[in-house]
Formats: sequence, structure tokens, C-alpha cells
Amino acid sequence: MKNFIKLIIITCLTSSTTFGQLFSTQSGETSFFSETPVENISGVNKTVGAILNTSTKEIAVSMKMTAFDFPNKLMQEHFNENYIESDKFPTGLFKGKIVEDIDLTKNGTYDVTAKGQLTLHGITQAREIKGKLTVDNQKITLTSNFDVKLVDHKIDVPKLVFSKIAEVIAVKSKYIFSPYVKK
Amino acid sequence: MKKLFIILLCTISSPIFSQDDLMKILDTESKNQVDYATATFKGTRLINGQTIETVNKNHLNFWISHRFGAINSGFIENFFGLDEARIRLGLEYGITDQLTIGAGRSSQEKMYDFYAKYKLLRQSNLIPVTLTLYGSNAISTVATGSALESGTVMKYYDNLERMTYTGQAIIARKFNDKLSLQLMPTFLHFNKAETTDTPNNILALGAGGRLKLSKRLSLSAEYYANFNRPSSSNYHNSLALGFDIETGGHVFQFHLTNSRGMIERQFIAQTTKQWSDGGIFYGFNISRSFSFDKRAKGMNK
Repeated sequence: MKNFIKLIIITCLTSSTTFGQLFSTQSGETSFFSETPVENISGVNKTVGAILNTSTKEIAVSMKMTAFDFPNKLMQEHFNENYIESDKFPTGLFKGKIVEDIDLTKNGTYDVTAKGQLTLHGITQAREIKGKLTVDNQKITLTSNFDVKLVDHKIDVPKLVFSKIAEVIAVKSKYIFSPYVKK
Repeated sequence: MKKLFIILLCTISSPIFSQDDLMKILDTESKNQVDYATATFKGTRLINGQTIETVNKNHLNFWISHRFGAINSGFIENFFGLDEARIRLGLEYGITDQLTIGAGRSSQEKMYDFYAKYKLLRQSNLIPVTLTLYGSNAISTVATGSALESGTVMKYYDNLERMTYTGQAIIARKFNDKLSLQLMPTFLHFNKAETTDTPNNILALGAGGRLKLSKRLSLSAEYYANFNRPSSSNYHNSLALGFDIETGGHVFQFHLTNSRGMIERQFIAQTTKQWSDGGIFYGFNISRSFSFDKRAKGMNK
């Protein structure tokens, strides 16, 4: 009996460290672009964390807002200080589930829709985000394009601003997942 | 009971990954990333003196600074100071995100100043403060035999005598998104002292800070205390109070100060006026930032 219990415990402990169905990245890219009459605003974050469970088809994405890099650093400061308020709301999050009935363990390219919650500027919105997912053995690539409406996330554009800021921002992402290894 | 406990343990530790678990994994992974404090101050200058902030790589700042006459200089004679102004024009450029070089020209004593600033430590989840080193050289190009603000007539016999050096270690901490404070231990060296009583080397400690009132408006204060000023000196410690307004590409700083000069030599060592008798100058700084980042090409329409 004692041995049996030991066996169970060992099975339990070892099973918790296998992550066969988990794929992750810490160097995902998310960028955005906003065109206005006065100037274009763009930023890119190359340290986006994302994790995908191929059996449950769940996905989670987390990015530090301060990691967005802008060609114009003043815009970067304004983005963090005035719009996104990175001190109060340091991360942008998405958690969701791919709704299509597809087998993510098989190689191929799939059009996918992730249904879930997008959290930005402390405001969570239910979203369905479309993307393309390519499974190539142990490498999974996910790309997506979607729009963020500033008003949905209560991102204020003060009247004092000289340059106009677009009310809808186009967001692009590319994540290349590899099998998750616990550090 | 024991069995139940084990089964429970197994269920908890078994690999069922709900979305919250995925988030938890991401959280632990991202903890390895260093989190730096950003925008401790709005500008590279607090009021008269420097902040820990440096100019970003390939960015250029243009500074226009004005100090009107003293409020107590009279209505008929000087329209409470608005009849006259001292101006400093300055440019500073970010060679890297850490290293800034700059130059300026002040109408007070017709001074040119050249400086370098290096951000040695950055406040992060590992280091509690940001440390920036600052060094400058200022050269007076006023005619020999001209009087300083204090009234002392300065005779210069060679160009070296016209030079002043400043070294500062600027230490700042952003306590939260509203409050940032900094300390500025300062060393000044005058190649030629004003009088025989005046030391060539001056030790001072500055303290300052900013309090954000809203996203674009903040209060700022700056004080410099001298440690080895002789008792015979007519100079005073410098106190400046102001507020900053930030718009798109500009920072406007409006302030009141008992110092007229806008470079270290003048406001740390040669402040002639006092707040207590209305010897207050009002003034403003305007900073405009330009990006010369290759990626920014074509971004400004």
C-alpha cells in the first residue's frame, strides 16, 4: 500500500513537469501603426510573451507596454505617460481560445479565430481576433491583424495635443512558438 | 482521509492548464525581464539645473530659456522686470541613450557652455535610483573689466581665467507616477576667483523634485545650498519653483527663482538676489525635441 502511494505521488510530481502540449515564446512581435494628417505614429514590441496549448487550443499573450519601441522617443514617452499610463497599467493581455475545430498537432496552415478577453489600459473587452496559424512540426507561427478602438479602452486623447491621434489603431502580431520548457 | 488528500494533491499538480495557468506561466517567465523606470522627469532640465534625464539616441533638443528682470526692480524703471531679459539658447544631442552632449550660449556674461552627461545607473526593479554624471565647462566672453551681477569688476589676463568647470553626480528616484526627487552633489571650480576671499572651489548640494498634478502639468522645485561660501559673501543659495506644461513636442517650464543665470556657475555660486526681499526673477524654458532616428524619416509629414 505504501509503495502504491509513493508511486502515485511520483507519478503526480513527474506528470506536472511535462508540457507536451504547451508552446511558448518570449520574443513575439506586436506592432501598431497610426496614420494621422500631421504625423505617423508607430511602435514595436519584440519581447511579447505568448503561450499556446495545442490540445485545449487556449492561448495567452502578455506584453509590457514600456517595451514598445518608437522611432520618436518623445512619442514613446507620451504613449507610456499620457495614453497607456504604463505605471498604472503595465501590461497588455489577451487570453482566449481558438474556436475552430482543428487539430493543432497536425502540420498545416489554418485560419483561426481566438475568442477571449483583451485587456489594455486596465479595461477588459471581449474580442474575437482573427489570425493565421502555421504548424510546422515543433514550430508554430501565429500572425494576426486587428484594430483597437481607443474609446473601448478609455484611452483619452487630451484636447491640448497639437497632433491628432487616430481613434482606431491597427495592431499587427507575429509569434513564433516553440515547445515550452520550464526554466 | 490520507488517500483523499493524495488524490487531491494529484489533481492539483496534474497538468490541466486553464487560461489562468497559461497567464501564470507567462508571468513567471516575464519576471526575468528588467523593468526600468521611465520619464522620471519631463525634461533634461529641472528648472535651472540638470535632471538625470538624458536625450535619447539620435534625438536633438533645442532649449530657449528666458529670465526677466527682478520683480522688485520697480514699475516705472523696469515694469517689474519685464523690460529686460537674459536669454540662453542651447542644443543637446543624444549620442547614445545614455550619453548626451550639449552646448549653450547665455547673454549673462556672454557665456558659452559645453557639457556632457552620462546615465550610469538606471532605476529598475534591481536598482533603486538613477545616477547620471554631468560635467561642464563655461567660458565667459565678456570684455575684460566688465562687472558681474554682484558689481565686482573682473579683469581677465588670459582665456583660461575665463573658465569655470562643473562636476555633478545627479541621483534621482521616481517614487511613483507622480513624485520624483533628486539630489545633486556639485563641485565647481573657478579658474579665477571673484575676490581674494572667494574660494576657487565650491562645494554645493542641490535637491529638487517634481510632483505631477495631471498628465501634462507638474510642479517642480529646486534648491542649491553652498557649503563653503565665506561669511563676507553677498551671494545666496538658489531656490526656484515652477510648473511644467507638456504638449506634443514641447515642454514649457514657467518658474520663479532668485537666480538670474542659467548655468551652474551663475545660479549655484553667484546668486545675488533673495526671495525674502522680492528679488525674484520670473522666466521660462521651452524645449523642443527632434528625432533624427532613421526609422523616423518620412514620419513627419
